[in-house]
Amino acid sequence: MALSREIYQAFEAVVGARNISEDIGICESYRAIPCQTSDHRGPFKQKTPLPQAVILPGSTKEVQGIVRLCNKYGIQFKASTTFWSVMGYIGSDYSVQLDMRRMRRIEIDPKNMYAVVEPYAIGAVVQAEAMKYGLNINIPGVGCSSSVAASTAGWVGFGPQTIFMGAATENMLAAEWVLPDGEVLRTGSLGAGSGWFCGDGPGPSTRAILRAKQGTAGSMGICTRVAVRLHPWPGPAYIPSRGMAPAYKANLPDNFKAYTLCFPSWDAYAEGLNLLHQAEILYLGHRQFTMFGRDIKTAMIKILNDPDGQLSDLEGYVNDPELKKANEDMKIDIQVIIAGMTPRDTEYKEKALDRVLEMVGGWKSEFMMDPEIKDWVLMYLLRMGHKNLNYVMCGGYEGNFGLSGNVFVSSSVMEEASALKKKWEDEHDYIAQVGGDSDMGSITIMGGGGSTGWEFFTHFDSYEKESVEGTAEFFNATQEWMNQKKLGLDMGKWNQSARRPDGYYFSQEEQDEMFSKLAQPLVAYYQYRVREAFNPNNLCGSYYRTLSKV
Amino acid sequence: MSLKDYRPMMERCSNCLGCKWIPFDKIKSQRFGENCPSVCYYNFNTYSARGRFQLAQTILDGDAEYTKKVTEVVHSCTSCGACDVSCKICRYNLEPLDHNIALKIDAVEKAKTLPVQETIIGNLKKEQTMIQGQKRIDRMNWAKGIKVKDILLEKAEVLFFPGCKYSYEDGLTEKARAMVFLLQKAGADIGVLGKADACCAGRAYQMGFEKEFEQRANANIEAVRKSGAQVIVTPCSDCYYAFKRLYAKLGLNVEVVHIVEYLDRLIANGKIQFVKPVQMTVTYHDPCHLGRQGEPYVAWEGGEKKIRNQIHTWDPPRPRYNGIYGVYDAPRNILKAIPGLRFVEMERIREYSWCCGAGGGCSETLPEFSSWTAAERISEAEATGADTLVTACPWCESNFAGAKNQNGNKIKIYDIFDLVRAAL
Repeated sequence: MALSREIYQAFEAVVGARNISEDIGICESYRAIPCQTSDHRGPFKQKTPLPQAVILPGSTKEVQGIVRLCNKYGIQFKASTTFWSVMGYIGSDYSVQLDMRRMRRIEIDPKNMYAVVEPYAIGAVVQAEAMKYGLNINIPGVGCSSSVAASTAGWVGFGPQTIFMGAATENMLAAEWVLPDGEVLRTGSLGAGSGWFCGDGPGPSTRAILRAKQGTAGSMGICTRVAVRLHPWPGPAYIPSRGMAPAYKANLPDNFKAYTLCFPSWDAYAEGLNLLHQAEILYLGHRQFTMFGRDIKTAMIKILNDPDGQLSDLEGYVNDPELKKANEDMKIDIQVIIAGMTPRDTEYKEKALDRVLEMVGGWKSEFMMDPEIKDWVLMYLLRMGHKNLNYVMCGGYEGNFGLSGNVFVSSSVMEEASALKKKWEDEHDYIAQVGGDSDMGSITIMGGGGSTGWEFFTHFDSYEKESVEGTAEFFNATQEWMNQKKLGLDMGKWNQSARRPDGYYFSQEEQDEMFSKLAQPLVAYYQYRVREAFNPNNLCGSYYRTLSKV
Repeated sequence: MSLKDYRPMMERCSNCLGCKWIPFDKIKSQRFGENCPSVCYYNFNTYSARGRFQLAQTILDGDAEYTKKVTEVVHSCTSCGACDVSCKICRYNLEPLDHNIALKIDAVEKAKTLPVQETIIGNLKKEQTMIQGQKRIDRMNWAKGIKVKDILLEKAEVLFFPGCKYSYEDGLTEKARAMVFLLQKAGADIGVLGKADACCAGRAYQMGFEKEFEQRANANIEAVRKSGAQVIVTPCSDCYYAFKRLYAKLGLNVEVVHIVEYLDRLIANGKIQFVKPVQMTVTYHDPCHLGRQGEPYVAWEGGEKKIRNQIHTWDPPRPRYNGIYGVYDAPRNILKAIPGLRFVEMERIREYSWCCGAGGGCSETLPEFSSWTAAERISEAEATGADTLVTACPWCESNFAGAKNQNGNKIKIYDIFDLVRAAL
């Protein structure tokens, strides 16, 4: 059903003819093909629905105008910024897609250490602007190519630097929020006319409704401006670099140290991470490069550090005895960065780090201390600009297993999970054969207990249908294992209850069917009542899980 | 490769949209962090390399067609290749630039072109030049009054190939004569193609007119072969790219150098010496076809080979073309050798340079967009504090000059050769 001329012209009057299109080619390019992207729900073939129009608002007023028209005419809408994830796409036929690209302003308040950002201000540019003031921003695991506002207001939002800076829940201050019915709500201190400094008051304390712990994936309206906390950056106004693409390397002063810490066992790893958390010495803590796979991580690092490197070099490197030894040395590892605020601080942190390693019998990888690799690691992790390496090997990746919990829990099952994945790698050819363990995750401060994110990267070919379907089968197997271990939902299926395999949202009836079986159905019922109040016409999608009756 | 051959790339593109930004490691500010003129001007994601992958996929699937809007989207790519560089920071199996051109070729084959394109290509066929209104008969007028060999009649080591702009346009013809004079003075044995001189047609290829390009390319390759030249020197970056990359693929086997490389060599071995100070603060714009697309052609024939179940590689290894081996140092060496000149860099340089907006024929087909793109670069140049923006391509220079005049910028626009002459 195409939009009537009356409706189209009403939208056009809000944003101008240049910023709206219903051309078939434009609209088709705003459909997600989920196996080509990532929404942590597992790959499938279908596209998301075709939007009736794509609209590019340029201001909060324009967003409000669009949302009011959607309410007037009963049209669903979805706003997205960088379109990396399927959750940013519409899920029903009679919908319009908002592309927030024109809203990109960044205002930095260096004195009060926060930035007010519009949706299209991505992590890379907010960080670049903040560094000019000696400040930095938490760039979550999604990487610097994604929207700060979306990560802060709409999704989980923890990452490598969370150990120092906290996650989105801690970093979100006041917000300007166009509610699903078109009303503009200014949350926290902004609502009391007191500026952006606080998310919880004076003024409406609605952070829990706006984002809760996980975020609502945009199912509760559109955040047009969000204030995010900034943190100290003891480095230059921009990160000077050397080297040739793709291996740009940071030229940072000596107060920045990058190490790969290695441990003799998963118990020692857990204890080590726990001690590092307690010691409060890290600027960044992240198990990054095992994402390529336990058997090939040093080979991939070699390739990525060579301007002429190719994936066809992989087998040669994998069979190199020195690199095999380095892989073995780094079997149980994590990358950390120390950023000393003063020479004395640097010295103290180095000593404390060494002491932790001594206590748990750990060591620093010599391979990763090569100056060229070390400076590449500094650039990689501090900027988080290499997100797309997730896809480098096969074109598709999906996180699975998955646990954001206590490090002692996840580390205790790591080898068993690795063995299950390796079995599938060896017995089938659906997913890349990388040595089982392809875990990536950060030490965070969530809950104050040093919990650790855990996500296995499963690499598959989004072009080869057998690979796509086989990966889904593998995720079924890992879910079965997760069930046996009572570890909850596999990450590859996290959003399976949010969008149907054909790309559409679930209806309320379907949600009722699914969520009545929850262990705590009242949670979803409570969310239904909240949605009724804030989103009376249910126009923003169903990523916000609801149950209409108990 | 035809459009359908890019299907695996379309489906393996992961939608990260890194193609819209300069390499993230290099971003110094929000203002100058983006890299794709097309998506920056038109804003819809469709205009990005990712959007073009998806657009092409839907066209192949029959879900979309070449509407008027889609045709404009397809031809609004300046073929600058910035997306290609950024994509290849993390990917080894995607070729966004080649795909963008393949999409244009597909559109042209289906007669989905912009109105001005037909006029331009008509002129290319009839008058063998991309400059509208110019005649073939007038092409060698630029060389009147100078003593230079006709290389098809008299052997010479170096073939000077000025390209359409230097052959026809006021202000540039005189410069072409000065280039020949300077090279001869420095001892080079120079010749020109005379009656066989014609457009390189590199811009026709950038616009998707593959057949018209190949016709001209084959004729030019034959002329060069007959000439016996050992080196081709050109002051035009589009011509340089055509000879260096496109003609090499078609069998041309002669050394191709841009005049900045040749001058850099002459300066290095003392055959050109600067004596006059040039009191300017200068910043340099890397032309796309001299910089990131100026890498030498490497022949490759092979296919995909999967290893470790699903990791796709090329067998034999395929040339990467990620922009790093383009011509970047030669122009900078020249500028730094000029006494009195203060050189400053813009934020987007070398392989992640911003396009001037003239590429892909856009200066003729979509002039407002093209001029906006040039104005963006001028703003970036002005932000450095430079009083002069220098480049090494006549298409860039004229696009900058046009935007400057339109917007009233004070910065001076020069070809690098202008400063070389001023310092002699």
